[in-house]
Amino acid sequence: MPIFYHDDPEWSDIEPLPQDDGGLHPLAAIAYADEYSEAMGYLRAVMAKNEFSQRVLGLTEHIISMNPAHYTVWLYRSRTLSELKASLHDEIAWLNPTALKHLKNYQIWHHRQTIIDGINSPKGEHEFIATMLEQDSKNYHVWSYRQWLVKRFGLFDDKEEMRWTEDMIHADVRNNSAWNHRWFLVVGGRDGKTLPENVVKREMDYAKSAIRKAPQNQSPWNYLKGIVREAKLPVSTLKDFALEFADMRRPDDIYSSHALDLLADIYAEEENGKEEAKKALELLASKYDPIRAHYWNFRKGLLDQSGVAA
Amino acid sequence: MAPDVSVAGDDVKVNYAAHIRFWRRNLKTFLPRHYTGNDANRMLLGFFILSSLDILGDLPSALSPEERQGYIDWVYHCQLPEGGFRPAPVTNFGAARNDDNKIWDPAHLPGAFFALLNLVVLGDDLTRVKRRELLLWLTKIQRPDGSFGETLGENGQVEGGNDSRFGYMATAIRWILRGNLEGTVDGIPDIDVNQLVKCIRSAETYDGALSEAPLHEGHAGFTCTAIYALSLMDRLPVSKPDGRVRGLTNLPMTLSWLVSRQTLTIDEDDSMDTLGDETDSAATCHDAHSFVKLQEYPSLQGLNSFEGEPDSHAELQWVGVNGRLNKIGDTCYAYWVLAPLFILGHEQIIDKRPVRRWLLEKTQHMVGGFGKASGDHPDIYHSFLGLLVVTMFGEAGLQDVDVVLCITNKAKRHLESLPWRRKLLGQNEEQSHETGG
Ligand SMILES: [Zn+2]
Repeated sequence: MPIFYHDDPEWSDIEPLPQDDGGLHPLAAIAYADEYSEAMGYLRAVMAKNEFSQRVLGLTEHIISMNPAHYTVWLYRSRTLSELKASLHDEIAWLNPTALKHLKNYQIWHHRQTIIDGINSPKGEHEFIATMLEQDSKNYHVWSYRQWLVKRFGLFDDKEEMRWTEDMIHADVRNNSAWNHRWFLVVGGRDGKTLPENVVKREMDYAKSAIRKAPQNQSPWNYLKGIVREAKLPVSTLKDFALEFADMRRPDDIYSSHALDLLADIYAEEENGKEEAKKALELLASKYDPIRAHYWNFRKGLLDQSGVAA
Repeated sequence: MAPDVSVAGDDVKVNYAAHIRFWRRNLKTFLPRHYTGNDANRMLLGFFILSSLDILGDLPSALSPEERQGYIDWVYHCQLPEGGFRPAPVTNFGAARNDDNKIWDPAHLPGAFFALLNLVVLGDDLTRVKRRELLLWLTKIQRPDGSFGETLGENGQVEGGNDSRFGYMATAIRWILRGNLEGTVDGIPDIDVNQLVKCIRSAETYDGALSEAPLHEGHAGFTCTAIYALSLMDRLPVSKPDGRVRGLTNLPMTLSWLVSRQTLTIDEDDSMDTLGDETDSAATCHDAHSFVKLQEYPSLQGLNSFEGEPDSHAELQWVGVNGRLNKIGDTCYAYWVLAPLFILGHEQIIDKRPVRRWLLEKTQHMVGGFGKASGDHPDIYHSFLGLLVVTMFGEAGLQDVDVVLCITNKAKRHLESLPWRRKLLGQNEEQSHETGG
């Protein structure tokens, strides 16, 4: 049911401000619904008067349902909430279904941060995030928001947070957002300090076991290489592991293009390893990853230019 | 296009007539109601429409002199009395605007960026732009950490995200209005370039991409706009250190991440590197659209996207491009991924032909424009970015473009020829058109 204000006695004191589209040739004019045009006219009118009231909350909800990307309606709503000293818990209760309707909206998440910051507790947020991720387990905003929560409430070392992250990776080992969240907890939580040896080992083992499950999944490979780099270990640390998936003596038996890629880097750093590195890159270009043939050939060219690995 | 071996599909064409019809319709008639969620993005939508027609070489004939002037006036109608632009008339209070309420009708960063580009494409000389005010405001929406926000809110609070999109738009405005000059110009202070570079570096990810914020997941959109911002500030990596703070601390890793975005997963049923537990699907891949803050468009895409299509796994005719690891190919990511490779001078490390073929055979729509993926209706956003990609590839019959500014080089040369700008940059008559982007 469309909502109109012109015959609503509660709004009879407001003269709506119609949109001034500036002359005969507006750009990207939209065929608005009457409902939207009218509501926007009332919004402009109340904003122009700086009215912060209960009815304004209703009006902003109405606008948001039609145009959640309106950039000042959210700020105006925030200000109204604070002027009315409205219940922030009620606001979250309204935001939950609204966020589900507008999964990809940025402003909603920013608004949510402001409210949760005010409430000063992450209680209930994990359940809400789970509902959102059921719709789209890789929703960038949701993961960013989760990272904000971890930072805001100091959950880097929270055992539950890590367990949940593992569950997400377990549910879909290709969910790169979940892998990144693990990195966020493990590395982000250390704030630039070196990773302890036991953590490095734990993380490497974790990534390796995920690779063994699905060797062609790039997420844990990147994670593994990232940990090795972060720990300032030589890339050759991973040689034996890579060979499990790509033994160059058996070029028909390659289980992962990412292992070949890694081996090319490792061989390139070895004395007299250039030929082996080239062989790995040739296998990638010709057989195991031909969609990137131009790139593998470029890498091969770099080997000839210098002794430095690409 | 490499002239060596021709592969099947090289003969597929851009349907020029259909694209022109599509864009003219967007220019001349009301956009359908489902664009309401983008009502606050009209400056951007208008730009995509005008620049597309310019790329197609149709803009001169599409616009009468009166219409051209009318659009220019509309853009200036969105300029605020105190300088800066709103991105659409939505927040304009007209005569009721005053010091107490103008906070709800603030200058807006993407609004200003797309307004300037619209003026350039329309051939305006920008002399009505409140240049000083806009440049001063730019310094105020930069935060101490180097990032840029979107608007100034109450008490001078910087509102909006803090990711590289805004860094890109801010540095582009700076470049348009004052070229490559660093430091105070004409008494107007510069933005803090070093701080922005540091901010961009802090968002480098462990796999070589850039993200929204430190330690967040790598994303092609943020990677592209970060590289653009660095390019506009002349802070991309160089082979010999020159003492300036530069971005992209591990270029080989960034290149590897970018080329890894090419994918054969262009259909949600493709399963070359997916298992039964793969939860990504064509229906859940809208992150780039919120990246530029567009609302979702209705999409036909879903289970029936590729019904009856042969399995393409073993073939390389069609290569799609995704925006993050283990996601499905999407037209707009062909732009966000390939454009930075052009800017980095490494466009040769991808094979353009199968990407071109994917775009032209799968996502180009017969009514003109491009959809997100095969079978999708075209929308303004994907249609513009799809067109930019085939233009970048050197398609015959399209006007060559400046990849960073998303305008034709012809439009860019117009900007560079403006007398006030040449004077500011100390360019005499002889040395024209040399500025890089
Ligand atoms: Zn897209």
